Amino acid sequence: MIGAGIKRGTAELAVLSVLEDGPLHGYEMARRIERQTKGSLHFTLAALYPMLYRMERRRWIRGNWETSDNGRRRRCYRLTAAGREKLSPLRQEWSELFQALRRLKKVANA
Amino acid sequence: MPDWQALVRRQLDGLALEPRERAEVIEELASHLIETFEGLRRQGFTEEDAAQQCMTEVKDWHDLRRRIQSARRKEDIMTNRIKQFWIPGLLTFVLAMSFLALLQKFGPKPWVVALRGVLPVATLYIPWLLSLPLIGATGAYLSHRTGGSQRAVFSSIVFPVLPYLLLFLVGFPVALIVDEHVAHNIMFSAFIVGLFAWVLLPAVALLAGGLPVQLFVSRRLNSRRIVGN
Repeated sequence: MIGAGIKRGTAELAVLSVLEDGPLHGYEMARRIERQTKGSLHFTLAALYPMLYRMERRRWIRGNWETSDNGRRRRCYRLTAAGREKLSPLRQEWSELFQALRRLKKVANA
Repeated sequence: MPDWQALVRRQLDGLALEPRERAEVIEELASHLIETFEGLRRQGFTEEDAAQQCMTEVKDWHDLRRRIQSARRKEDIMTNRIKQFWIPGLLTFVLAMSFLALLQKFGPKPWVVALRGVLPVATLYIPWLLSLPLIGATGAYLSHRTGGSQRAVFSSIVFPVLPYLLLFLVGFPVALIVDEHVAHNIMFSAFIVGLFAWVLLPAVALLAGGLPVQLFVSRRLNSRRIVGN
């Protein structure tokens, strides 16, 4: 299981990444992240929404109310141009970090 | 099924947001709990177990209320705009204009150039132009450090030439229309020369310092942020 500190850092990247495929509402977003990470990243309501609101304030994502087929109103989030701009360098940085950690492991095992 | 809307409203009582915004937050969180509940029921949980499981989504409602308030506060947008754009922008403007004023008073004579040796002429303060990359770099650093977006950083870098750009785009056409003494035949050339000397050339100089700093600082700060997380 991944620790809380790392999860905090990866949370924004996870949200931006799943929204890259298309708009999602909060519940769907949380489930998709959980499914795609095989349960390593689990967003509770308390963790997800303050982060979504913060990302919306930074204009990385935009939320709009939509009515589903069963008449239920849900707030769907989309990636904005600013969010898309943020995604690529974030991915690169995390990839560099993981590579560095892998190298560190090799050094430790040598 | 429990009345999730009522539960969220009760738990978030005192959420300091505009009434419409508060209602939207309550509706959104309640909708999340409803879907969680229905998902658990589909998985075979009893109604009671599903409701209990839903309640674990929020361990501390007081803390959630505080974090939602903090995340949605409008004044933060204003504070960020001031920190990321206005302060770096005005600082670069003041630095650039103060140095130009000092040069005009105490510095060497400007380089006066003319198109094909005739009017209109452009006055170039070479030491000023040479100082602009440093000033642009300062603007980029300050804006990026406070989390400015690429657009905010770019605007902070070129801020000193924006008043000139406004002057050329608005002042010249207005002068052309209003002042009948303005010689229309040289106006277009004067416009081009002025735009080049006071907007394009300084903007290039500012960006020459600002963009590399933006790139460099961006990499360093982001790496630090990741490690810090």
